[in-house]
Amino acid sequence: MKTFDPAALRRTILRMAYAGSTVHIGCAFSIVEILAVLYRSHLRLGAGPADPTRDYLVLSKGHGVMAQYACLHELGWLTDADIDRYFADGTRLKGLSDAHVPGLEVTSGSLGHGLSVGVGLALAAQRKGTSQRCFAVVGDGESNEGSIWEAVLFAAHYRLSNLVLVVDANGFQAMGTTAEVMDLGSLSAKLAAFGFHAQDADGHDEAALDAAVRAALADPAPRPKAVVAHTVKGKGVSFMENDNRWHYTRLTADTHARAVRELTP
Amino acid sequence: MRDAFSNALVRAARTDDRVLLLTGDHGYALFDGIRSACPDRYLNAGVAEQNMVGVAAGLAKGGFRPVVYGLGAFVPVRVLEQIKIDVCYENLPVVFVGDGAGFVYSHLGTSHQSTEDVAALRAVPELVILSPADAAEMTACFELALCLARPVYLRMGKADLGAVHATPPTIPLGGILPVRPGGGPVAWIATGSMVRTALAAAERWPGSAVYSAPCLKPLDADAVAAVCRRHRVVVTVEEHSVFGGLGGAVAEIAAERAPTWVCRVGVADRFSKYCGTYQYLLGEHGLDAAAVVERVEAFLGQVGATARAA
Repeated sequence: MKTFDPAALRRTILRMAYAGSTVHIGCAFSIVEILAVLYRSHLRLGAGPADPTRDYLVLSKGHGVMAQYACLHELGWLTDADIDRYFADGTRLKGLSDAHVPGLEVTSGSLGHGLSVGVGLALAAQRKGTSQRCFAVVGDGESNEGSIWEAVLFAAHYRLSNLVLVVDANGFQAMGTTAEVMDLGSLSAKLAAFGFHAQDADGHDEAALDAAVRAALADPAPRPKAVVAHTVKGKGVSFMENDNRWHYTRLTADTHARAVRELTP
Repeated sequence: MRDAFSNALVRAARTDDRVLLLTGDHGYALFDGIRSACPDRYLNAGVAEQNMVGVAAGLAKGGFRPVVYGLGAFVPVRVLEQIKIDVCYENLPVVFVGDGAGFVYSHLGTSHQSTEDVAALRAVPELVILSPADAAEMTACFELALCLARPVYLRMGKADLGAVHATPPTIPLGGILPVRPGGGPVAWIATGSMVRTALAAAERWPGSAVYSAPCLKPLDADAVAAVCRRHRVVVTVEEHSVFGGLGGAVAEIAAERAPTWVCRVGVADRFSKYCGTYQYLLGEHGLDAAAVVERVEAFLGQVGATARAA
C-alpha cells in the first residue's frame, strides 16, 4: 500500500533539490497534498504509465514537477538513482514536466499548454466511451494565460465531465503575489461562470481535498469539474512558507538540514 | 485544390475512424463534405487556436488522428509553440493544414498573409512540411501526411491555378518531381503556387528543367545535389520569404554538397504595402512570371551565365 505521506514526499523533493542544486521548491511544496490525494485515492493507473486505459494526471504547472517525481518515485516508476542524481549530466529528469518521462503526460514550463492537452485526452476518452478521467493541475499564476481560458471554454462546450481541473491557488507567481501582479479575483466563481462544477477547498487538508474530488466526480451533470485548492507556496517548511524567494533559491547544507528536520517526525 | 483537400479528408474520415477535423472557426463551405458525410468528425474549436492545437495533441495521444485546419497566418504561425512542444516533441500524428499561404488573402492585409510559415517551422524537429502545387499533389500530399503518422504541416496556397502535372504524381517523402525535363545551364525548383509561374518563366530559357518540390522538409539532398551538379544555375521560386524556405533549403544543400549558383526567387524581406488582387500583390513582390524572368536574367548576368549558353 502506497501511503503518499506528504512529509515523506516533501523530503524526497528536498533530496532532489539538494542533490541537483535546483530551484522551484516552493511551487512543488504547494501541490504535495493535491498530488498525494489524487495518486493515493483517485488515479486508476492500470498496468502503468503506458497503459492506454489509465487515468491521466496532467501537470500543467510544470514548475512543480519535483512533487510529481516524488509521487512517481513512491510508485516505483522512478528509481533512487533518478532522485539522487537529479540534474546530473545525461540524466532524464528535467526541471519542468516533460512528456518523455513515463508518468508525466505533458511537456510544460511554458505555461498554459498542459490543460489543453488534458482537455484533448479527456475528449479522446469521451469519444471512445471509456471511463478514463483526466486530472489537470493548473497554477493560479498560470491562469494569466489566455489559453487556459480557451481550454476552459472548450471543456465546458464539449461537456467533458471526465475532466477534473485542480487549481493550485498558492497566491504567488514569479514576480509577486497574484493580487499584485494580475489579480485573478475568485477563480471558483469564474470557473462556475464558464460552466464548471466548481468548489473551493483547503489544498493542504487531505480529507477536504479528497471530499472535494469525490463531490466533483459524483456530480451527475455533463460538465467539467474544478477544485480550487487554496494552498501555501513553500508549505511544510516554516522559512519557506509564503516566501516567493523559494521559487528561485537553492538549498545550502544549512537550509537543507533545517528543512529536513522540520519535515521529520 | 480545395476540393481535392475536402475530398481527401472525407475519404480519410470514411476509411479511418480515428480521423477528426478540428477547425478554429475557419473554412466556410470547405467542410460541407465532411459535415454531411461524417458530421461527428467535424469539431469547431472556436476562435481559439492555441487550445485547438493542445486538444489535437491530447486527441493524438488518446489514439486519434487529428487534422487541424486554419489559415496559414494562424496555424501554424500563431501556435508555433504549441506545435513545437505539445505535438512535435512527442512526434504525435497531427496534420496541420495552413490555408491561404502567401498572398491569397491579398485584400485583407498582413494579418492574413503568410510568408514566414515555412521558415518558422523548418527548424522544428520531427515536423514534415508539404507544399502541393496542384490538386493532384494535394491529394497525394494529404494521403502521405496521414500515412506518415507523425507531425505534418500541409501548406495550401492559391488553389485555382490549374494542374501542373499531366498525370497524378506519386510523392515520395522528400522527393522532387520533374515537371518538365530539360538540360542546359538553368534548372528550376519551385513549390506550391509558384510551380506554374516557374513553368511560364522558364519558357524564356527553352529546354531548362523544371521541378516541383512538394516536400520542403525533409528535402531529398541527393536529388537536389544531383540537380545542382547538372546545371550551372538553380533557380528556386516560392511564394514565401527568401529566408528559410525552399530557396534556403536548396542553397544549404548546394553549399554543402554541390556548389553551384542558386538564385532564390521569393518574397524579399518586407511586408506587403498595398491592397489589391492576388495578381497585383504578386507583381508588387516581383513574383509574376515577367518579374521572375527579369530577376533571373539579372542574376545570370551577374554570375556570368548567359542565356546564350542555353
